[in-house]
Amino acid sequence: MDFSVLTDHAGEIGSGFLVTIWTWVGGVLAGVIAGLIMAVIQLSAGPWVRGVLRCYIEVIRATPFLVQLFLLYYGGPSLGLSLSPMAAGLIGLGIYGSVYFAEIFRTGFTSIPRGQQEAAAMLGMTPWQIIWRVQIPQMLVLILPALVNFTTILGKETPVLSIITVPELTFVLTGVGAETFAYVETLLALCVGYFLLAELCSRLGQWLERRASRYLTQGVQQRRALKPRESAA
Amino acid sequence: MFDLALLVQGLPLLLAGLWNTVWLSACGLALGFLIGIGVCSLKLSERGALRRLGGAYISVFRGIPLLIQLLFIYYLLPRLGLDIPAWVAAIAGLALCSGAYLAEILRGGLLTLPVGQVEAARLLGLRGRTILTRIKLPQALRATLPALLNEVILLIKASSLISAVGLAELTRTAQNLAASSFLQLQFYLAAAVLYCIVNISLALLAGQLERRFEKGRA
Amino acid sequence: MNQSAAKRGAGDVMLEARGMSKRFGDHTVLQDINLSIQRSEVVCLIGPSGSGKSTLLRSLAFLENYDDGEVFVEGELLGYDRASDGRRVRSRPSRLSDVRRNMGMVFQQFNLWPHLSVLENVMEALLRVRGMKRDDAHRLALATLEKVGLAEKAGAWPNRLSGGQQQRVAIARSLAMSPAIMLFDEPTSALDPELVGEVLQVMRQLAEEGMTMVVVTHEMGFAARVADRVLFLDQGHIVEQGPPTRLFRHPQSPRLAQFLGNYLERNSLFEAAPALNRVDD
Repeated sequence: MDFSVLTDHAGEIGSGFLVTIWTWVGGVLAGVIAGLIMAVIQLSAGPWVRGVLRCYIEVIRATPFLVQLFLLYYGGPSLGLSLSPMAAGLIGLGIYGSVYFAEIFRTGFTSIPRGQQEAAAMLGMTPWQIIWRVQIPQMLVLILPALVNFTTILGKETPVLSIITVPELTFVLTGVGAETFAYVETLLALCVGYFLLAELCSRLGQWLERRASRYLTQGVQQRRALKPRESAA
Repeated sequence: MFDLALLVQGLPLLLAGLWNTVWLSACGLALGFLIGIGVCSLKLSERGALRRLGGAYISVFRGIPLLIQLLFIYYLLPRLGLDIPAWVAAIAGLALCSGAYLAEILRGGLLTLPVGQVEAARLLGLRGRTILTRIKLPQALRATLPALLNEVILLIKASSLISAVGLAELTRTAQNLAASSFLQLQFYLAAAVLYCIVNISLALLAGQLERRFEKGRA
Repeated sequence: MNQSAAKRGAGDVMLEARGMSKRFGDHTVLQDINLSIQRSEVVCLIGPSGSGKSTLLRSLAFLENYDDGEVFVEGELLGYDRASDGRRVRSRPSRLSDVRRNMGMVFQQFNLWPHLSVLENVMEALLRVRGMKRDDAHRLALATLEKVGLAEKAGAWPNRLSGGQQQRVAIARSLAMSPAIMLFDEPTSALDPELVGEVLQVMRQLAEEGMTMVVVTHEMGFAARVADRVLFLDQGHIVEQGPPTRLFRHPQSPRLAQFLGNYLERNSLFEAAPALNRVDD
């Protein structure tokens, strides 16, 4: 084995790595924001809106991320939506992530005792103040493990973006492999790279959880059942 | 944008693709289940080295994205002189990966068993393996059935990545039809609908089972 | 009891229910409740569990939306607005908050916010609802905590406190908003017996200062000593009401007599002097 291929293409690999990080972070941010909005709507909207949202969530959860990406990237133009690979990748990750984040937030909201909202309402706090000042701060601590967990999962979906030619790590390294026939070296590098990213993410998550629980959880009933299922991909 | 005639023409191909998706996933799951039982018993072993081995398997196969694992198997094995058909590589990839997740699901199921049952079995003179296969596993299976079904859904979705190594499962078939007809939206939507039908049925089934078990316990 | 005559002189109606009913599905929990509470009056709601007393109290705060009838807080209709076609529609949250701006509530489960310190729990609504400056809110919150005897716990986390202390903080949180009427929903039912006294003491002090109070309670001693009027609820009806001496000494209805009988039996098993003997202390 000759790992000099890696050093020879260090520049490309570095930029691929940055693209991976950027799509990951971007996808998580978009997913968290959209997911939170969806959870709040589910909390406060009428049965019709809730039903439509529920269907949307189930459909996104039932279809593979790759098919969603294809729909967005190849199917988009027929609806007048022409996206660059990068934009399609980011939006796709965001959409895919948002429904899972929405479910996490929803479980978080429902796990906080109702009485705390009632107490806030009796003191004259508005529904928004109750969500922001009473529910979200507590919920965040409760759902932190689930958030970290799904963030890791979303990171493991980013290689799929290489299929629609987003120049991220997998795309760059398989390209280098095909060009130099150094398949083994490049694939090993990919394995190590993603493994380290996943480890880094979960370590960071554990550290965050420790800090958060030291700071906040004093008596919030811990419900570990909140941790959602991991995805196989 | 849409062409019904072409869709009808392509439908048999799509259904054949769906069939491939289903049986590849099923084989992957069955094999993965065996791997899962093995890894789970490693993880629950009393020897530290075996426990670490099980843990390492789980973190490697859960830590590395499935697409990379598939590429690895697909590109590497032929270079080692093993000329295996694509479908074997696909099943192997799905099995190795899902084995790691299934091991954790089973472990979760086993850990919730009351200790007293095992103690009772031991007092009756049952040996370790008998206790595992006759007492622990059947209960763990029942307790984890909804989670297992959920894993099937995840596996069916994950199997779309097999398309990247050229096997004509559902996603790949849609891709081929889309490329040859230029009706991208139509055929990807068709694939999405087929995935939805299968997965939402499975999800409903999982929900039903969960409710039944909760009732049984209450 | 002793100060009640002086208190009654005030005369304005603080809280009123007219023909209020409440159903959960087919089950009627409250039926045709008529109730009027004067300024500075202390009213205790008693009754067997499931009698609807908590639901009544929660309906008076519109934490449960009543189905028929009306509730007025200082003359304003609570929870509903008249639409232009004469029908009534549920109030918007801002309107609801506005109508109950002078109403405070204390819950059985305290419902303190565990992610905020004791002081922050009390300050939160002062800052965000009253729009007070941080310094002023801080001062008022501390003063209110002082009043319930917990100023030294200002920096503590709620869950580090005993149940009795938590409930006093909850009272302070409500009190800091200077309500004109306070509702108590079984404030001592979640407490260990030895912690009940400190909470009742604070409530008694509030009553003596002339606070209008509606209290759902199982503490007959408290009802007997502090209430101006006691309401006995059973199966969603107000079965009997009146001053505690009359109600406890001479119950008119067999159901109240039976309820009190059960109560005395349970509480006097090992006590020489049950609380009711001290009604006039």
